[in-house]
This record gives sequence, structure tokens and C-alpha cells, in this order.
Amino acid sequence: MDWDQFDLNPKTIAALKKADIKSVKEILNLSGADLQRLMKLSSADIQCLLKTVSHTLRRNSMLTALQLYQDKDPFTSQHQKLSLGCAVLDSLLKGGIPLVGITELAGESSAGKTQIGLQLCLCVQFPYKYGGLESGAVYICTEDVFPSKRLQQLIDQQHKLRADVPAEIIQKIRFGNNIFVEQAADVDTFQQCLTRLSLLLARGMARLVLIDSMAALFRADFGPAHAALKARYLQAFGAQLHSLSTRFRTPIVCINQVTDAVSESEAAQCSCRVVGSRVTPALGITWSNQLLLRLMARRLWLPPHSPAAAAAPGAGSRRTLSVVFAPHLPPSFCYYTVQLEGVKGIK
Amino acid sequence: MQREVGTLPLAPALRARLAAAGFQTAQELLDTGPCGLSKEIGISREEALEALQVVRQECHGDTARAAGGSGATRKCTALELLEEEQTQGFIITFCSALDNILGGGVQLTKITEICGAPGVGKTQLCMQLAVDVQIPECFGGVAGEAVFIDTEGSFMVDRVVDIAAACVQHCHLIAEAQPEEDHGKALETFSVENILSHIYCFRCRDYTELLAQVYLLPEFLAEHSKVRLVVIDGIAFPFRHDFEDLALRTRLLNGLAQQLIITANEHRAAVVLTNQMTTRIGQSQSTLVPALGESWGHAATVRLIFHWDNTQRLATLYKSPSQKESTIAYEITPHGFRDVQPPAGTASTEGTEPNPRKRPRTEEEKQQ
Repeated sequence: MDWDQFDLNPKTIAALKKADIKSVKEILNLSGADLQRLMKLSSADIQCLLKTVSHTLRRNSMLTALQLYQDKDPFTSQHQKLSLGCAVLDSLLKGGIPLVGITELAGESSAGKTQIGLQLCLCVQFPYKYGGLESGAVYICTEDVFPSKRLQQLIDQQHKLRADVPAEIIQKIRFGNNIFVEQAADVDTFQQCLTRLSLLLARGMARLVLIDSMAALFRADFGPAHAALKARYLQAFGAQLHSLSTRFRTPIVCINQVTDAVSESEAAQCSCRVVGSRVTPALGITWSNQLLLRLMARRLWLPPHSPAAAAAPGAGSRRTLSVVFAPHLPPSFCYYTVQLEGVKGIK
Repeated sequence: MQREVGTLPLAPALRARLAAAGFQTAQELLDTGPCGLSKEIGISREEALEALQVVRQECHGDTARAAGGSGATRKCTALELLEEEQTQGFIITFCSALDNILGGGVQLTKITEICGAPGVGKTQLCMQLAVDVQIPECFGGVAGEAVFIDTEGSFMVDRVVDIAAACVQHCHLIAEAQPEEDHGKALETFSVENILSHIYCFRCRDYTELLAQVYLLPEFLAEHSKVRLVVIDGIAFPFRHDFEDLALRTRLLNGLAQQLIITANEHRAAVVLTNQMTTRIGQSQSTLVPALGESWGHAATVRLIFHWDNTQRLATLYKSPSQKESTIAYEITPHGFRDVQPPAGTASTEGTEPNPRKRPRTEEEKQQ
């Protein structure tokens, strides 16, 4: 770091160089008394130094809530969200998935998690006007091969799903070209993946990161004896994903598996409660702490000949998507079905 | 000036030299003068001059403080402290049960820590407080402003708008029920826009940014003297990864806590922190405990733990210097953080004396 650039007393700058302090972080990591000793300066000088470096680090970062509220720029506004491609599901989430933060989509197998994920990969490519972010998506597979056949099917059917978007706009988007698929079977490859990710995001090639699924990384290799190591990995991944999300205003969607709740109190502790459900999202509270928003997809098994099943569209495969927790949404749910053209909510 | 040399804000090496040369009080230094001083302890004349300037400034400051009666070290009796605390007021939470166990609400000049699992309502209470701190004095508020330091990106302005709108409406209802002259005047400026424009948000992405922000807080609070609430949501997130050296983490956290205490006291502001929960694996059973370790437990004056009991949200006052440990239920409604409403049909049988600041609850239901 070039200390001469700072608006500091020459005496302080000389002391900084002499004490071999190289970064702002190093200064902030030391206590005031340590700094006095290392740099041989008086406490007043140290106070002034701390203020100056803090200012350079923070600049003008203050915004009032009103400024946040009235922000209309699609790149920075909090109102801008990633649509799920269906008005009913969007209204459940008050517009869609928030751009900054990690969103989790948990559910049993065959609940429709991957379907929602694929649909998001297409939705992100639409113009801002139609709920997209005008950019591509990164799809990180950890358990299965990428369902490319289903993706092709969805692409072909986009005009049916998105009746709100003019056909020429849909035709113009080359959906398949903007989805980057990564395979990562263990934590080390996943880490490499994350490092590459920042390059892709920095170029603006993608504005959605989808991880399918987080739990698969940890299920095989980590037994109960490695709980502490697993927690450390989860925290590190969570932090990296968080910082990517903040830096590039890119939503991160993690698909997660579920485990059976051993006891009621366990379910309560992890705050993964969904009324009437005996399952909790995998990975425990360490992972829950990293999340902004947790969604739960469930498939309702109706007896095949019951009148309810006959009346419902897509009989026998009624599913619910529920908000488990979110800072801006009440716990709520809506029904949806998975059809040929994609995921649709039911009012 | 009988102040000891050791207490002057000089460089440590210089202090050591002065002590070795036998200087004991500030007055002796001033009497010696720059020439004598430079000869006596072997420093250049410029350095000596600079040191004497500092000493003179300090001494001047001391006399000013002695005359004014207030200063860094101020003496007061317990009675004075009690009176001061009583006149200070509280930030109400809009959940009367929680206010009761806290002894009136969130206290100014104290650090309150809220711990809880994700989704239990920590951020909701923080947003609620950021709105409530602005309630005008005539409605029992403290008419302050709020600083919101967000480390997790969970400050959702849409939600704040909901809460603020509910709060404004509530005050309008009070004004209707008890028409007083100052109510109308206060309500003229108490609008959602006004509330939003007095919540100052800072986004900190890692712990260095958070530390820097806390160093800058005193300056910011001096410029914005009406700030009565500083929220850090959450304190744990930036400190729970990338720390190989846990001793460094503890030291930084302690430093942070100390700075916050000083800031809270000097600017008569409440500090509210949120903390995550972590699993502690015991011999037979694992339990959830607040994160950041044992020593951090001393940082906050008041500690609240939020948890679930089946579908009921509960708040437990875990640590407080003045209130007894207790647990109450609360709810998060579309309007914000509220009491649990008794199920319809069973009339409330609370035998509490009517509080002039509160309206009977039935009105609210009628209006909505």
C-alpha cells in the first residue's frame, strides 16, 4: 500500500513505513496501544491515523433508508428482483428472488427443486422489464449430470410459459448459450469452481449462480466425526458466496436436500419448521445462518382416486412452495405444478 | 498543573525518557521549557517544542473541564445516576410483554444483544426499533434517529416501509383517541418518508469495514446529534469465517465492544447487536448457544435470546443488570413486532392499571 497517497502527517507516514505496516487491514487489526508501541507515536496521532484510514476504507457509504427506497436504478435498487417466470410464484416472493444474498430452495427428491432452478436460469436472461437481469447463469451440479434434455424442452416451450413477453424478444435470446455448467463432486473442486466464478461474474457474463445441491458435497465424505471441519467449510463457502453476491449483485440460489427430523425440538432449533412436515433442510444451523431466504418445495401425495386429486390440475402431483423465513416476507405458501412448459403457480 | 507525566498523550518512548530523566508532573515540563527539555532528555528542539505544545493543550483542556464540571472522568453519586437513567427514556418495542421484561424497553446508553436462530425475528426487531426510536416525545418516544449497520444484507427497505406505515397509523389513532395540542403538531412531520430519511444505513462487507465503520461512528454521531440508536445486524457474520487466529478475533471483538460502550455513553444512544446461534456439543446432548464464544458474552449489558417453541416465538431475557430472567411470547405480524393476541372470544383479563400512553386494544381492531 502506498502510504504517501494518504492525507496524513509526514511523521505518521514515516512511522508506518518504519514499522513495516503494509495494509489498512493490518492497522485495524492492531489495538491502539499496540500501534502506539510499534510506531512510537502518541495516542492523538494514532487516533488521527485510525480515522483517516477508516475514512479511506469507507468513503461515502452512508445511505438513508429513503434513498434505498427511492432508488430506481435497476442495477442497485432493492426493488429489482429476479422473477421466477410466473406471476403467482412472484407474488408469493413479492417480486421474486432478492439480488443480494443466498436463497435456499430445500425439498425432498422429486419435489420440483431442479425444475424451479432450470426455470430461473432461463428467466435471468430476459430483459429487466420482464423480470430478468439480461445476463446468463452458472449452474453448478454436484450430484447428478446436468439435465440438458429437460433444458432444451423448456427452451422450446418458453413462448408458452412467458405469454407476457412478445415472441420476437424470446426468439432473440439464445438461451442455451448463456448457461454455464460446472461439475463439482467434492469440496475441493467446488472451491476451485468458486474461484473461477468471480472471473465470469466480473465480466458480466452471468448474473445468477445456481448450486444443485449443496448437501451432496458433504453427504458422502463427512461423517459425524468431521462435524467441525464441515462447519468450517460451510462457513467459508457461505462467506465467499455472500461476497460474490454483494460485489456483483448476483442472486445465489442453493438447492438443498432434506433430512428427517429426529425430534420436534431439533426441527425447532434449526427454525426449518414447515407445519405438518417431519423433514428439515440438511446441513444444520451453520448453513442456515448463511441464508437470507429459505424456501421449501414439497410434493403432496394425494390418493389417486380422491376427488381432490381429480379436481386439481396435474392430478396427483400437486406441490407447494413455502417461505420458511425471509426478512421481508411472512411465512406463507402457494401451490404449483410442473408442466411441460415449466413451473407454474396455482392461485 | 499536577498531572503526572505518565498520563499525558505522548509517544511511549518519550514518556519513558521523561520518567527516566526524573520528570514527574506536567508543570515541571512547562517550567523547563523547550531548550532545557531537549538538553535534558536528548531530543531535538522541534520534538521538545511539539511535546510541550501537547502538554499545554492538555493542561488547558483540564482546566476547562474542571470549570465546566464535565469531562472524561466525571464523578457522580448513585442517586444522580438513577435520576439520569429514569429521565432517559426507553425505545419501546411495540410488544408490551417484551417492554415489561426489559423494564420499559431498550435502554439508551446500554448495549443490548439479540441472539437467535435464523428466521426467528432478530432483524425484524432491529427494523422495528429503527422506526420506534423516532416516535415523537409526546407519544412516549425518544424522537431520535437511527444508524443501521448491515453486515448480512438483510436490511429490506420494503419491510421497513410496512413497519413505519403501521407505526405512523398507530400514532394517528392515539391522537384521535386523546386529542392533545402537541399531538397534531408532532404528527405533521411524523410520516413514513420522514422516518425513512432518518434511518442511516451502512453496508459492511467484511470485518475490516465494520471495524472502520465503528471507528467513524463517534464522528458521525457528533454530526447527527439526534441519533439514539445504533444497530449492528449482525455482529457475528463477519467474524465467523476466515479467522485462523481466534485470539485475534477475541481481541478485535473486545475492542469493538469497548468502542461501542464508549460511543453509547457519550452520545446517549442505545446499541443493539444481533448474534447467531451455534451448536455446542455436550456429553450427552448438544445445545444451541450464542456464537462468538464465552468472552463475548460479557460485551453486552442486556442479552435476549429468541427461540421457537413449536410454532410459538419466544423471547428470553438471559442477562440483565436490573431485570429478572423471564420468558415471553411475541409475534411477527404484517405490521411488525407485536404481542401475541389472545385468541378471539376470550376477553383479556389483564388486571393492569390503565396506562395513559396506551390505548385499549379493541380500538385498533375496529379500525383495521
